[in-house]
Amino acid sequence: MYTVIIQQALNALQLGAIYALIALGYSMVYGIIRLINFAHGDIFMVGAYIGLGVALFLKPPFLVLVLVTMGLTALLGVTIERVAYRRLRHAQRMSAVITALGVGIFLENFVRAAISANPQAYPVLIAPRTLSLSGVSTTNVQLMVIGVSIALMLVLRYIIRQTMLGKAMRAVSDNKEVVPLMGINLNLIVSATFALGSALAAAGGIFYGQAYPMIDPYMGIVIGWKAFISAVMGGIGQVDGAMLGGFILGTVEVIGATFRSTLRDGIAFAILILVLLIKPTGLLGRPVTKKV
Amino acid sequence: MASRKGIVALLAVALVVATAGTALAAKEIRIGVSAPITGDIAALGQSTKNAALMAEEEINAKGGLKVGKEKIKVKFVIEDDENKPESTATVFQKLINQDQVLAIIGSQSSKCSNAGAPIAEAAGVPQISPWSTNPNVTKGKQFVFRACFIDPFQGKVVAMFAKNRLKAKTAAVLYDVASDYNKGIAEVFKEEFARAGGKVVAFETYTTGDKDFSAQLTKIKTANPDVLFLPNYFNEVPLQVQQAHKLGLKAKVIGSDSWDSPDLLKLGAEYLEGTYFSNHYSPDVKNPISDKFVAAYEKKFGMKPDAAGALTYDAAYIVFQAIEKAGKLDRKAIRDALAQTKGFKGVTGTITFAGSPDPVKSAVMIKITGGKFVYDSTVNP
Repeated sequence: MYTVIIQQALNALQLGAIYALIALGYSMVYGIIRLINFAHGDIFMVGAYIGLGVALFLKPPFLVLVLVTMGLTALLGVTIERVAYRRLRHAQRMSAVITALGVGIFLENFVRAAISANPQAYPVLIAPRTLSLSGVSTTNVQLMVIGVSIALMLVLRYIIRQTMLGKAMRAVSDNKEVVPLMGINLNLIVSATFALGSALAAAGGIFYGQAYPMIDPYMGIVIGWKAFISAVMGGIGQVDGAMLGGFILGTVEVIGATFRSTLRDGIAFAILILVLLIKPTGLLGRPVTKKV
Repeated sequence: MASRKGIVALLAVALVVATAGTALAAKEIRIGVSAPITGDIAALGQSTKNAALMAEEEINAKGGLKVGKEKIKVKFVIEDDENKPESTATVFQKLINQDQVLAIIGSQSSKCSNAGAPIAEAAGVPQISPWSTNPNVTKGKQFVFRACFIDPFQGKVVAMFAKNRLKAKTAAVLYDVASDYNKGIAEVFKEEFARAGGKVVAFETYTTGDKDFSAQLTKIKTANPDVLFLPNYFNEVPLQVQQAHKLGLKAKVIGSDSWDSPDLLKLGAEYLEGTYFSNHYSPDVKNPISDKFVAAYEKKFGMKPDAAGALTYDAAYIVFQAIEKAGKLDRKAIRDALAQTKGFKGVTGTITFAGSPDPVKSAVMIKITGGKFVYDSTVNP
């Protein structure tokens, strides 16, 4: 019985780590400019494809591959913000959300046209080895996905809490009008936020490709929704909330599947609704106080 | 204003010319093909298209079909249904209303054929699905046929194989609950395996597009079955066997005809070694019709045809035969000729529609050995 619980916990951690990596991007962007970046799931998808391309053409060591892919995808995120969202920053909020949806559909179809609509096998970057310990089986890939994801999240947490950039980001999140008057370059902070979020999504894309080695142009849609839901469940705008939400959703899905696999998503989303009913701003969300 | 009128006039002329064009081109026999050319099982759509084009080329090289006194060339209108039921419905509407096809070959997966068949039936257009084995596809319909066996038979074949050949006492099933084919055959297997004295210890589901099966497979591992039946499409099976392997699942894995595509091996050959699946035919089984087809296909496309391709080729020739027998380009007459098909000798066996739109054919078991599909045995109905 214990071995099953540990086994399922590992399954949940792997799934949750990937949700959390993507959820962070949703949450950070929302925190800074109050935009729900619906293209984020597709940035995750493009990140996976960029990783595939880098792996096939440059064949670098794994860590270099992750860093190069994160860099390239960060560039993509910054470009998307510069081209599609920046001019809409002061427009109605709905305009930017619709634009984000459009960017997402554009990315899907661009990859479909440029590469193929067919699923691509993802190259094996780390030779999988099964490790068994008294009935619990795991692989080095699974442990790597969980470990590196958590490490990346800790790095992000450090950036936000301990660096000047992070301080500026938190300040912008708090008050977008006054902070630029204090000599902080708002555009730079927004770009940095998109870069960080996209880079994490790219890492998520590569890990996803290692854990489930088949990718297609539409893989970002459902994963994107689930990551977005994780972000909302944890309290959108809160970095810790996004991580927590990702791991909770992963766990709840695994529990649902164990209980009755046909009801997996039903159970998962029932819990989400319950969480929001009890705490409308999410688990770690701050209560909204309206100033008159 | 004048220029706008001019454009309207021009458009009108263009429209007339275009319509006249189709009218002039009407001296050809148009047959629709609905195939998953893109989407999750695109490799299968490609072999469908290959086989259809091959049949078209062969018949036109002979001058076309002999209808009444004249010979008329055949034109296949091949459309992509993306392996989605909603797209299949659109494709069927287009083939019937816009292309005015005489008959439709397709679709391949049962969920798509189930979406297309009511449309063909309502419009009175004969349809043959090459590869859809779910019983509901043809049920209660006059115009819908298939070139393959059905799942009540296939599910039994696999259950018996597990019970008798693999000596399994317990079995587990993991299947896609959102897809008609997978769900149908999983249920037949469960029933037949239990009837044969076995016990189904886990019956787990997922939804199309899922990539993580670890929770379900962990549950299956706890039940410790002798065999694991995966009646799922070839694009998902590799992920499932790989994850089962990583979780340390020891059960022997078996599958069904939805495994048959070269793509299956591209993704997970090492984890599939030694597994078995049921299929419609094997290129290894020697018979003159099959040998000729396999050789021609290999020469043309550089690979062995999968069962979906072979069945599409058979479906095409059944339609050809029916059109010649009907003697006129009339959908109802072709349907009646189809319904009288008896003892048609094709690549995948003998096909008879007299009495039932579901042919009674034998199945083969294929073993994956050395990264290849190898013929194992034949099971007769």
